Amino acid sequence: MGEMELIGVGGLAVLFLLLILRMPVGLAMLVVGIGGTFVLSQFASYVRFGPYMKQFKSLLWGNMANYDLSVVPLFVFMGFLASQANLSRDLFRGMSAVMGRFRGGVAMSAIGACAGFGAVCGSSLATASTMGRVALPELQKMNYSPRLATGTLAAGGTLGILIPPSVALVIYAVIVEASIIEMFRAAIIPGLIAVIFFISVIAILVRINPSLAPTTQTMTREERKDALLRLIPVLVIFGSIILGLGIGLFTPTPAAGVGVFAIMVYGFGLRFFGQEGLTFPGLKTALLETAKTSGMIYFILFGAEVLKGFFTRANLPSTMAEWAGTSGLDPFVVLAIMLIIFVILGCFMDSLAMILVVVPFFWPVMVDLNGGDYATAASSVFGMDTEDLKIWFGILALIVVELGLITPPVGLNVFIINALAKDIPMSETFRGVVPFFLVEVVRVAVIMAFPALVLFLPTMLS
Amino acid sequence: MNSLLQRLVTLWALLGGALVVVIVLVTAVNVGAFTLDFSLKPFGIYVPALPGYEDFVRLAISAAGLSFFPYCQMKRGHVAVDLFVQALPSWLRTVLDHLWLALTAVLAAFLGYWMFIGMLETQSDGTMTAVLGWHEWPWYIPGIISMGLWALTALWQVFGGESHG
Repeated sequence: MGEMELIGVGGLAVLFLLLILRMPVGLAMLVVGIGGTFVLSQFASYVRFGPYMKQFKSLLWGNMANYDLSVVPLFVFMGFLASQANLSRDLFRGMSAVMGRFRGGVAMSAIGACAGFGAVCGSSLATASTMGRVALPELQKMNYSPRLATGTLAAGGTLGILIPPSVALVIYAVIVEASIIEMFRAAIIPGLIAVIFFISVIAILVRINPSLAPTTQTMTREERKDALLRLIPVLVIFGSIILGLGIGLFTPTPAAGVGVFAIMVYGFGLRFFGQEGLTFPGLKTALLETAKTSGMIYFILFGAEVLKGFFTRANLPSTMAEWAGTSGLDPFVVLAIMLIIFVILGCFMDSLAMILVVVPFFWPVMVDLNGGDYATAASSVFGMDTEDLKIWFGILALIVVELGLITPPVGLNVFIINALAKDIPMSETFRGVVPFFLVEVVRVAVIMAFPALVLFLPTMLS
Repeated sequence: MNSLLQRLVTLWALLGGALVVVIVLVTAVNVGAFTLDFSLKPFGIYVPALPGYEDFVRLAISAAGLSFFPYCQMKRGHVAVDLFVQALPSWLRTVLDHLWLALTAVLAAFLGYWMFIGMLETQSDGTMTAVLGWHEWPWYIPGIISMGLWALTALWQVFGGESHG
């Protein structure tokens, strides 16, 4: 390892130190990116700090004026708007009308509603928070075990990161220069597998121990009819976004724009006809929440751009890829190690920041292990070309990033659900997510063993 | 002053949000035109989509996205890792917090300064968007204002101001 690479490693260490000291993630990335480049310029003649600084004339504006990333605030807005227009509640009630009569059915409905809400909301945290507010009181009212209720919602919230459209998928696609639409298509089957696995976990748990879900939901005929009727427009809006993206009718930005438009029309329409729908204060709240979340995401994206420049100048990603390629380790072992690192980092780091910091390091390693940029399916180690590898690795990485959201000691989703259920000890919620965590590990293993589960839809639909 | 800054930052974010709503409406019109074109083409009727749609989205989102930064700062929305500092004494946590806030203010001012230089350069270059042919430099202005508000918000927080709501 040469001088430049050592500076790069030093920069990485400083980054983690600053993060530990609670410096905001975007700021830490910027400080290390700029500071690290200054240090590099003292040692390498090819790095000149003066010209480097001049890139800031257009770097931030250029980053923001990016058509691909315009989808981020639109998807974020769509999620908050759907929440304000009570679509999340309608979704949950409609699902309950279908599944509530089974033992554990309301918890299963919560999983279904989380998956549905994930289709309009790109964030796991927002999904957990929104569906937690809607479903937790219902689960408590029906005397569900606190462990099962909170565990279900914390785990269900993780569906938001993978069920398309997802902000994390967009950002991953931008980093590795993959097609956003293909990433969305690829995430559909793994997302559905997660829904099936989570519902199966609940079914098994309540079969083993019926006291976890002591009652089933009783709805009158009228209530059921009303819930199902209100579910239809929600499914039409959510379904048309996924379907439109899946069959290539929309690209992501128009899909998000049309989704927001449809929710606004529907929400205001409900209000117009005297029902609970979208109000102007609700619209204002959704806009301000969008501002807060999108501001955070954009700042991290910009910080990551500056940091990436520093690491690239320090040759760190290529050195790491070279090292992994010559280490003699089995490529699948290296992949497993990388996924474990994701889970560990996910225990205390924001998922988006983790994708932005770690993927630029891991992706070159994957390419190198697979046989280089021009590897074909026949000649490659993982049995797929670089384009397919981008998709498969991205889905795997995002699933394990999700795991971080329910892994102690931080597990952000667990904290969010626990904040809504203050009388339930945190340890109960963490115990509640254990079965879901275990099936997630199984899902990762299945997708590692059968990449076709991920690659089937992008191949078929392209 | 505090209240004025808070209102200004909130209003600025809402203006950015209004731009997002405009993008939504323009997108709906554009997709509507595409759909009509697709449906009516067999009958020999052509409905053009909005020319320069992507140009507009790109410019509008740059202004909207940057206008969100000060509001995110005001609400302490920029994510940080909380876990490890919880073990530190509260005075040290306060010192660190103020240090990061001051650094944020400096950084926002730094970015605003360079963006201003960038705007002058873009103006003198006469850079225009590809399809619409709009000048790009005026779209730097919201960004410069946003950086100024961001710096002021972080400074205000250094001196004890907290977010409302």
